[in-house]
Amino acid sequence: MSIWKYVVIVWLSAVIIAGFLIDIPKIAILEETARNLFFHVPMWFTMFATFLAGMIYSIKYLSNEQLNDDLKAESATQVGILFGICGLLTGMMWARFTWGTWWTFAEPKMNLSAIALLIYVAYFILRSSFDDPRLRARLSAVYNIFAAATVPFLLYIIPRELPSLHPGADGNPAFSDMTAPELRIVFYPAVIGFFALAYWLTNLRYRYVRLKNITVDL
Amino acid sequence: MKLTSEISYNPPADSILFDYSDKWTGVAPEDPNLFIQFMSSNDLIFVVLAVSLIIWFVLVFYLVRVDRKITTIEEKVLNKEENNSEL
Repeated sequence: MSIWKYVVIVWLSAVIIAGFLIDIPKIAILEETARNLFFHVPMWFTMFATFLAGMIYSIKYLSNEQLNDDLKAESATQVGILFGICGLLTGMMWARFTWGTWWTFAEPKMNLSAIALLIYVAYFILRSSFDDPRLRARLSAVYNIFAAATVPFLLYIIPRELPSLHPGADGNPAFSDMTAPELRIVFYPAVIGFFALAYWLTNLRYRYVRLKNITVDL
Repeated sequence: MKLTSEISYNPPADSILFDYSDKWTGVAPEDPNLFIQFMSSNDLIFVVLAVSLIIWFVLVFYLVRVDRKITTIEEKVLNKEENNSEL
């Protein structure tokens, strides 16, 4: 196992410890849940990164028709869905104790992120409906590019313009005065750490599925 | 960080001290050692941290094991492939 994986373990452990223990300013309503910023928000950032990687590998597949690129796109997208589900569940937990509800259809970010995840679930349904690997790779690559194109609109542009309790609405950036600046000290390392973890998971899943394909052929 | 300054044995946080019902009688730990004192401080936040770290390390342990197993199979299968292509 290469050294960077050990670095990821130590790095994320340090992020968790710092996330729990640093002194944070008292923010009304949020209280200690402001620490969720270190864990909830990186889930979404990581999802964006993996979906972007999936899109890049899909484009790569369409241009060079290497089946391994299709497997990489699939692996990255799968890990992205995993992080998206974590983001949604942690968001619900956070919402219950700050907004007073597990789910509300008045909240654009909740609903649109759920829709984005459904679009990506359809990617796997599409994949499972082909037996021919080349046909599956080509059509799902095209679909994946479409799916990735919806994400910035669903999770950034539209919710930013709508009224919402979620930070990053009403035309304002998410990191506003109400979010204390010292939270960034742990937040950015957390994002980097979860990116690296997602890369590790994608890599693992890709190596597994590649081996599976080879051993089926043997 | 409120690590060194506020480590003190803080009875209100250590809930095993109290009687909650007739089935549970409070127990006073005979000699609250340094670890117990530390974990009981800061409104028990260290307990939550410990729980989270346990989950994280168990997941990491599993991840490392799967990674190693895949590497082992890769060495076998990919070498075999190369041998086959030479034939």
